[in-house]
Amino acid sequence: MSKSHMLALFTDFDEASNAIRELKASNLEGFNIKDVTLKSPIEHPEIEELLGKRPVYVQFFTLFGAIFGGLGGFTFISSSQATFLLQPKGGKPVIPIPPDMVLTYELFILFGVYITVLGFFIGAKLPMKRHKLYNARVSEDQIGILIKADDTAMPAIKDLMTRHKALEIIGEGSK
Amino acid sequence: MINTFEERDVAVEKRFIHKEKDIREDIAWAQINKDVLKSLERPRMLFWVIFIASLALFMVGVSCEIYQYQTGMGVANLDNPHVWGLYIGTFIFWIGMSHSGTLLSAILHIMHADWRKPIYRFAEAMTTFSLMTAGLFVMVHLGRVWQFYYVVAYPNERWTWPNFQSPLVWDATAIFTYLTSSMIFLYIGMIPDLAICRDNATGFRKSFYTFLSLGWMGTDRQWANFRVTYLTVACFLIPLAVSVHSIVATDFAVSQQPGWHITSFPPYFVAGALYSGCAAIITLFIVLRYVFRFEEYMTMPILEKTAKLTFAIAMVWTYLNLVEYSSTWYGDDMYAKQALIYRATGDFAPYWWMMNFLGSVVPFTLAFKRIRNNIPAMLVISILLNVGMWLERWMIVSPTFANGIYPWTWDHDQWPSLVQWGIVAGSFGWFNMLFMLFCKIFPSVSMYEVKEMVYHRSLVRKGTEDATQINPELAVEGGIAS
Amino acid sequence: MSITNLLNNWSFYRNKRPYRGQYDLNKEYSEYKWAMALDLDICTGCNACTTACYAENNLPVVGKKRFHHGQVMHWIRIERYWDEKMVDFPEQGASFLPMMCQQCEAAPCETVCPVGATSHTNDGLNSQNYHRCIGSRYCSANCPYKVRYFNFWNYPSTAWPAPLPDQLNPDVTVRTKGIMEKCTFCVQRLNEAKSRARTEYRLVRDGEVVPACVQACPTSAITFGNIVDPNSKVAKMWKNQQVDLYKDLQEKDNTVRGYRILEDLRPFPSVMYMERIRDTEA
Repeated sequence: MSKSHMLALFTDFDEASNAIRELKASNLEGFNIKDVTLKSPIEHPEIEELLGKRPVYVQFFTLFGAIFGGLGGFTFISSSQATFLLQPKGGKPVIPIPPDMVLTYELFILFGVYITVLGFFIGAKLPMKRHKLYNARVSEDQIGILIKADDTAMPAIKDLMTRHKALEIIGEGSK
Repeated sequence: MINTFEERDVAVEKRFIHKEKDIREDIAWAQINKDVLKSLERPRMLFWVIFIASLALFMVGVSCEIYQYQTGMGVANLDNPHVWGLYIGTFIFWIGMSHSGTLLSAILHIMHADWRKPIYRFAEAMTTFSLMTAGLFVMVHLGRVWQFYYVVAYPNERWTWPNFQSPLVWDATAIFTYLTSSMIFLYIGMIPDLAICRDNATGFRKSFYTFLSLGWMGTDRQWANFRVTYLTVACFLIPLAVSVHSIVATDFAVSQQPGWHITSFPPYFVAGALYSGCAAIITLFIVLRYVFRFEEYMTMPILEKTAKLTFAIAMVWTYLNLVEYSSTWYGDDMYAKQALIYRATGDFAPYWWMMNFLGSVVPFTLAFKRIRNNIPAMLVISILLNVGMWLERWMIVSPTFANGIYPWTWDHDQWPSLVQWGIVAGSFGWFNMLFMLFCKIFPSVSMYEVKEMVYHRSLVRKGTEDATQINPELAVEGGIAS
Repeated sequence: MSITNLLNNWSFYRNKRPYRGQYDLNKEYSEYKWAMALDLDICTGCNACTTACYAENNLPVVGKKRFHHGQVMHWIRIERYWDEKMVDFPEQGASFLPMMCQQCEAAPCETVCPVGATSHTNDGLNSQNYHRCIGSRYCSANCPYKVRYFNFWNYPSTAWPAPLPDQLNPDVTVRTKGIMEKCTFCVQRLNEAKSRARTEYRLVRDGEVVPACVQACPTSAITFGNIVDPNSKVAKMWKNQQVDLYKDLQEKDNTVRGYRILEDLRPFPSVMYMERIRDTEA
């Protein structure tokens, strides 16, 4: 069964969420709610919730980065201080704890931020090529629903979208 | 959809329903795009005046630095023991200025203060560029700038490392962390806007923005990851910003110089940093508002809120300043007390008193609503406040060398040479130049967040007027219609 | 740089200095601690020490203008104080204090150097590594005595016009612009004496080596030696004056006149001064 894409654009955000809600309840053959992608100009946590659980893993990257930065930072600093054999400074111990804590803290944040951002790029799949059904109006003021479904299910979905006052429906063939 | 913060907003709206709005809620989203993208095209003439003037000023600084590089630090008219001068003072000034970008973008983000949204982008750019300027001063200050990489912990065959005990190494690490993190934060927050630029640009600009926007499409997956990342990095940035200026304060607080060896320095520095940063935001707010015709977004209520914030921080700073004086005065450290008396009565007395006046008395003008709503007055006041804060940093660094612990230092009077002044002036040129270029190339008002602001505010308004039924008129006005 | 090294020697790396037993005649690499005793009652303020230091350590003569700017490079300076009121002749009230790097055991300058250009040597000196110095001048800012001098200009190119370079001491380098320098206790002499003694399987004898200022002092106001050796002259003087290297606040009776400058800041200096006996009562 061949699959194709369809993008429906909405101006009314409530209609868009109603459309998703109905789509979810419809149990159409050859269609899965996981294949719906919402494209919007602003954050819509409330509409995203309708799409079902789509977990974000960025926070685990953060945890790893912060722990790695902190522990690795302290180990690196103290062990490199220990290479200054018999070169104590200012009567302080060769490995002074309070100054090392300052640097450990900075490295904890440094790696925390870096690896969080790495996690963001991996999680959001950036950089990526734009989908061929991308429409510039999504970055302006319209909300887009990108649906991937079997060809057989397409007419029903299209019908549903039209019922919810979709401004425009762009199919894969029309491009 | 209505969480606790918005409910609170509802209550606030009900109470001050007659109040002037931060932003027009019926502004069309396409119009937001259009207005902001226009700033990338043709600014007012003043833009080019500022840009050319900044470039010229920067050239002055560069030539001073070339002269100093060739001849030696002696041309700065520093001496033994007066080894630190305007460079370090201005370094603190620029580091300090970077802090309010984080205040607006991270702290107010977490506190859900959405009035920050139209102005936080340029504040963040200010953070990045003032940190770059501060980094330059570290270089300019060094006697052998060509060996600056000795401070970096890089592996080498001699197994020598920087001295990790030194506050200057903490500084270098903290500034590097802060600079790169805030650049990343600025960039991540800008990706959706870069996608808007990409969709509207043509020619080489299109490929430029296409490259930078990384193929952002605004999908739910991207937004969900974006939200978590943005919040996480914001949470990292707040303690980072506090630690950066605390570390700059430890440059002084851990040393033995009288007038520096004070435990209240870190909070004092952080307060001073936020203070000068907020004042700088007001200055740039007024400039950008005029230059790029952002009257619709950088509105008077937002300016007023920023002014109130500045006033509050000014009072915190004043308090900490008085704490410093009184703890020195009533303390047991005779060297510090003598240094304080010297600052108030010695060679630097005029500047010291001016610093206290500009920093603690002038902000009281912000208590008046008429002044807060007067743009020329705000421009002058914000510049005066920053002059005061610059003087404060100079008064921290310089007088203590002329009145140290050891009597030999007491008969040294020292005045910065023209080279020092030239480089300080050049730094302002460098900062303005970068900042103006940024505002020309990148959207300096966050488009998607202004849309969010408009959207949520209209939802809140809808909630106040009719909680159950959708008011069709407002739904149209609320920016959903194109 | 390995974790095993870190774990094995952790307690050693956590040692604070100075601690009693840090210097020991019988322990290798810790048998020297160079120290000084300076009698202000004998000092006449003749500046011979300063001159000798200029000759020995290749110090540049900066000229009148730069001297006025405070960019002078005297590693040892004679300070004049006019604290005694003399009615007839104010000049009588002058007292002198030669001030050089105090080679502190817990030197404030060492901790703050970002690149580790200054650190402590085994023989208790505060060393300055010119090659490593990047000229942040933090050490000078944190030095309570202000005895560190910065090369504000490129002196090797201006201070010694030909044929003056011929008189430079070949044992000591000349310093370029942008780095910090200070009194080294004439470390070139100390190292030479130490290696000579080592080839002869002995320790440096007392009086075998002295810095240039000590050598030049016409009144022998300065005594120099290894304070670890209890029989050395300087160790005896410190003991007689009841000044203890390892203490930050001395307990002593008022019959003695030895003191260390700014001891309350706890830098543990290695130079003991002996107060001038003042004739104010007469």
